[in-house]
Amino acid sequence: MMPFNEEKVVEMLRKDEASKSRAFEQIVRQFSEPLYWQIRHMVYSHDDANDLLQNTFIKAWTNIDSFQGFSKISTWLYRIAINETLTFLNRQKAVQSVAIDDPEINLDERLEGDPYFDGNETETQLQEAIATLPEKQRMVFNLKYFEEMKYEDMSELLGTSVGALKASYHIAVKKIEEYFNNLD
Amino acid sequence: MKKEEDSILARCGNRRPFSTPEGYFDSLTESIMASLPAVAHEEPAKATLWSKAKVWVYMAACFIGMLFVFNFAVNTANRSDDGVQMADAGSEVYSDEYIDSFFETAMIDEYTLYCSLTQNGGFY
Repeated sequence: MMPFNEEKVVEMLRKDEASKSRAFEQIVRQFSEPLYWQIRHMVYSHDDANDLLQNTFIKAWTNIDSFQGFSKISTWLYRIAINETLTFLNRQKAVQSVAIDDPEINLDERLEGDPYFDGNETETQLQEAIATLPEKQRMVFNLKYFEEMKYEDMSELLGTSVGALKASYHIAVKKIEEYFNNLD
Repeated sequence: MKKEEDSILARCGNRRPFSTPEGYFDSLTESIMASLPAVAHEEPAKATLWSKAKVWVYMAACFIGMLFVFNFAVNTANRSDDGVQMADAGSEVYSDEYIDSFFETAMIDEYTLYCSLTQNGGFY
């Protein structure tokens, strides 16, 4: 498998349909897994994450001509994925407003019944604590805590200043710590 | 913050507690590529005569509508002005010819009319 060369891929995207398709295949191969995990941490269910990932790439493919190469491909894809995920969560929230009012109970049941969740008790509690955070704070926490992403990279992805991201992560950590203190 | 973060890390670690179906990532690229529409960009729909002209037709319709409303408003205002003038004018509604013909047919002459007016406190 060829190593991913962003400049070359962007150049191929400007050529004929066959080159464009080959370039896009390289993009999918390179970014599908990290994007999947970012989405999965937000929606929990594998099936939902898989659907959202497919939608993300379909949207990217149908709008590939609008990609000017001013930002990195990863930034562009993450933004599409984030938008798709937030739209999905808002729609889900509207449908299941009662369940979302008490995310801990709801998530606990969901994770227990999920064949693709293999967390122990404390890991389940951590997921429950994360679920109490507002969506954007949750996204920042997941990127920093699980993916160990640098604030600078996160800033480019989310279009938020490094200072605001640090503050957001700090508040998220405090809330999670409080959640555990209440459990003890 | 480091203290709280370390405490969470010590308690839970940062392992992803999620898994995927067996071999999911092995076939993911093929599965995504297979789900893509055939052509990356959608061909823009050809512009028909109606699609080109409809903006102008809508604008013309709006303009005619506005003219109609304006005309209606002006006419209504004029009619109500006429009514006010008629009410204010009162005695000037009747023409001189009508008054002359009235005196000709009335059983009264000018002297009698004069007397009648002066006896009732009339104009003098």
